[in-house]
Amino acid sequence: MNEHLRPEEAAQALTEIRQRQQQVIDLAVLPTWYWWAIGALTVILAAGVDTNTPAAIGTTVAVFVLGILAATGWALAGTLRHAQLRDGLVDRRGVAAILGFVALTVGITLGLAFALRATSVSYPATLAAVVGGLGMGIGGPILMRRLHRIMLANRAGSPR
Amino acid sequence: MSTVRFDDLIHAPTRLGIVSLLAASQWADFKFIRDSLGLSDSALSKQLTILEEAGYVQIRKGFVGKRPRTSARLTPAGHAAFERHVAALQEIVSRSGVTILPH
Repeated sequence: MNEHLRPEEAAQALTEIRQRQQQVIDLAVLPTWYWWAIGALTVILAAGVDTNTPAAIGTTVAVFVLGILAATGWALAGTLRHAQLRDGLVDRRGVAAILGFVALTVGITLGLAFALRATSVSYPATLAAVVGGLGMGIGGPILMRRLHRIMLANRAGSPR
Repeated sequence: MSTVRFDDLIHAPTRLGIVSLLAASQWADFKFIRDSLGLSDSALSKQLTILEEAGYVQIRKGFVGKRPRTSARLTPAGHAAFERHVAALQEIVSRSGVTILPH
């Protein structure tokens, strides 16, 4: 133990440690536009499904897949190029938050689509995807804020 | 082994920044570390070499396309030393009763 280090210096070092780790954590947060882009791509895919023609389905599936790849690559460019997050920063609470968000979004979208189809509403998949897309656009950033808080709490030097 | 140990090698200001960045990373790019800490290539290389010789850091050199790319990561020994160092700092602070506001 370094007995000569003053408590203020130790506190300053801990602040530096936390701030440096936050620089890496901040890279991994998906931007808000990403969630709206994924929501919009989902609506496009659903519209293709609703048209029920092979050409439209093929086109929208291609747009969806390419769009997801491009958006994800763009959004994660920082973390892919600069620094990949260490395992363990997203703990069980983070995994539960991700799974809960996916289950809620998929559950509401599919449930609504089937319910609309059962009542013979036109374009049930598209309408349900609009709701699901809104959920992604609004819920995605909330999920990111939750994960960000969890990762900050799990970095070394954070108060337990 | 003690879980609390002040590490002079890690505590040097520049190295503390490097190790802290690496502590949150699987691998971190040389340029990212350099730019984050405002270091020159040679200064960062020198500090990484010191950490590598201590067994705290592993350096990986490769290519992305035709561009050379150097990355670094903490070894398990580096992680353990960093955790012990952080615990030592926290102990100094907690003994004194100084309050640290989370950032």
